[in-house]
Amino acid sequence: MSPEEMLLDPLRLAAEAEPERIQPQRRIHAAEQPGQGPVVPPVRTIVLDRAPLPAPPPSERASVRTQLAGAGPERLRLEEVSIDYGPKQAVKSVSLSIHQGEVLALIGPSGCGKTTLLRTLNRLTELTPSASRAGRIMLDGEDIHELPDTTLRGRVAMVFQQPNPFPMSIFDNVAFALREQSRKRPRRRELEPQVIEALRRAGLYEEVRDNLDGPALRLSGGQQQRLCIARAIAPRPEVLLMDEPCSALDPISTKTIEKLIGELRRDLAVVVVTHNLAQAHRIADKVAFMYLGDLIEYGSTAQVFDEPRATRTRDYVGGAFG
Amino acid sequence: MLERLRSPWSDRRAELSLGAVSLLIGFAVVAMVVFVTIQAWPTFSHNGLSWLGSGGKLEEQISAMQETSVHPPASAYHLRAWPLIWGTILTAGVAVVLGLAIAVLSSIFIVELAPTRLRRIAIPVIRLLASVPSVVYGLIGILVLVPFVGNHVISPAEKTSVQDTVLLTGKSLGVAIVILTVMITPIMIALICEALASVPNAWREGAIALGVNPVRAILAVTVRAARPAIVAAAVLATARALGEAIMISMVDGGRDFAPRLSDGITFLFEPLRTLASAIVDYHDGIGAPALKSTLYAFALLMLLSAFALSVGGYLIKLPMRKYQVRG
Repeated sequence: MSPEEMLLDPLRLAAEAEPERIQPQRRIHAAEQPGQGPVVPPVRTIVLDRAPLPAPPPSERASVRTQLAGAGPERLRLEEVSIDYGPKQAVKSVSLSIHQGEVLALIGPSGCGKTTLLRTLNRLTELTPSASRAGRIMLDGEDIHELPDTTLRGRVAMVFQQPNPFPMSIFDNVAFALREQSRKRPRRRELEPQVIEALRRAGLYEEVRDNLDGPALRLSGGQQQRLCIARAIAPRPEVLLMDEPCSALDPISTKTIEKLIGELRRDLAVVVVTHNLAQAHRIADKVAFMYLGDLIEYGSTAQVFDEPRATRTRDYVGGAFG
Repeated sequence: MLERLRSPWSDRRAELSLGAVSLLIGFAVVAMVVFVTIQAWPTFSHNGLSWLGSGGKLEEQISAMQETSVHPPASAYHLRAWPLIWGTILTAGVAVVLGLAIAVLSSIFIVELAPTRLRRIAIPVIRLLASVPSVVYGLIGILVLVPFVGNHVISPAEKTSVQDTVLLTGKSLGVAIVILTVMITPIMIALICEALASVPNAWREGAIALGVNPVRAILAVTVRAARPAIVAAAVLATARALGEAIMISMVDGGRDFAPRLSDGITFLFEPLRTLASAIVDYHDGIGAPALKSTLYAFALLMLLSAFALSVGGYLIKLPMRKYQVRG
């Protein structure tokens, strides 16, 4: 295992974070053997097939985050953005900037407005009739409301919480945006290099190379989500928005996608909404903590997690509320 | 007895009783096909496949049958059914094509574009229309549309242009097609609306998020995903249109005449008769064995086309289903 993979291994992380929670149950399990001490009522026992690994030496604890060079140019800038759904204010005057080469994680409890904020960045909130917006969002210095929405969504792509590949072949899924965005229908041969490139970048090509014409809906959940990522990055967007991309997936797929996010940010600005604090800690360069529509804290991951300025943030990242 | 029915059924018992019911239906269908085939057989054995072709005057051939005795000679079976077949293809085919276009477009409007309040009213109203008995449409056709077409739409010049062969009264191909379209469109709209509404919103949103404009997203993803249901709706509507007898027989003019495309626009005003309405119109003459067998042959032809329709629908749907999830 590479140090990076070790760091991302969820089972090992759990064992490391809370060794006493697993260890005592092993003891209880041992105490249940006949003739050894008092009878303990049967409890759920966890049998580990191997002992938890020892803590890695400090040098290996470096996160994936630090392995890339610093942030690139600013892509998106939010200026006093507020979003209302009728009388309810979902996002209150949020200002942020998002840079290429960076992963920004939006964290916060449910209903705090982080998904609404994310969907505003490519104007998907406009599809909700009651939503209204104030403030400005600049993409490379242009107000996104002055761009045609189709152009904007070509430049700011999105991956959803539930994998949503279309009921078409794998190839057609990835080629979908390429076909729809080009004026005249390109031939399959012209699209092939771009499709393969996108599948490669999404880390899916090796798994599907012999089955490009197979139905996308037959892939596993994690493969479907990577297909959705490939579909989103195929037209070479500048910003990738991800709305809890791993919450519907198993730990192994989650690990693959987290690794992928780390690689994608080389040439993209990535914004990830997540409920999972450990995930935000693992993948993000910057973290924005939102609470009831307010942006409470915004800073580097280390700063937000280790030295939060606001009490609310300290309580949230410390697990006092969720 | 009731006590026994109320107590929980074993799997075996439920399997047997439900299986028996389905077998009964299957048996009834097979028996019907066999019976119709046997009854229709003399017609086909005397005419061969040229029965399906054209030649001579169909009305004269049928009245010749009615005059024959209980033991008709082979010549009494002589018939060329093409005018009826052509009438059926024309009315059902044009009505289904028109109706399908209207149904797809209006379903897209109702499900995707209409305001919620309109949608809440439109869907129940369309369901209601789908269940209107066809004779009601026929009545409106004969009392309203036929006189209107006969008095105001057909010009005297058109009447005289074909007066040697046929009389234009207003009972016509055009009226039959219009009423048939009105009759089969609601059921198609109801089915297609349901299919469109059941397409996951995530697909629609996913397409829009890829920078596709909303109308394109509807066509490229939602309608595409609903294609099998659109085919199913078309098959159902075609079966209904093929089998529609009373309504057509009220407005089609009851002439065994094959409307001629060569007559230009007047073609739409020419009377005709379909297979189904021929059965309705001639059924009181079945004392004559030749006519009886002929009517059974019409029925067999309709049965076979209904089967062909189901199989065709299934085959068309196969490639469309390739990429859909299957349980």
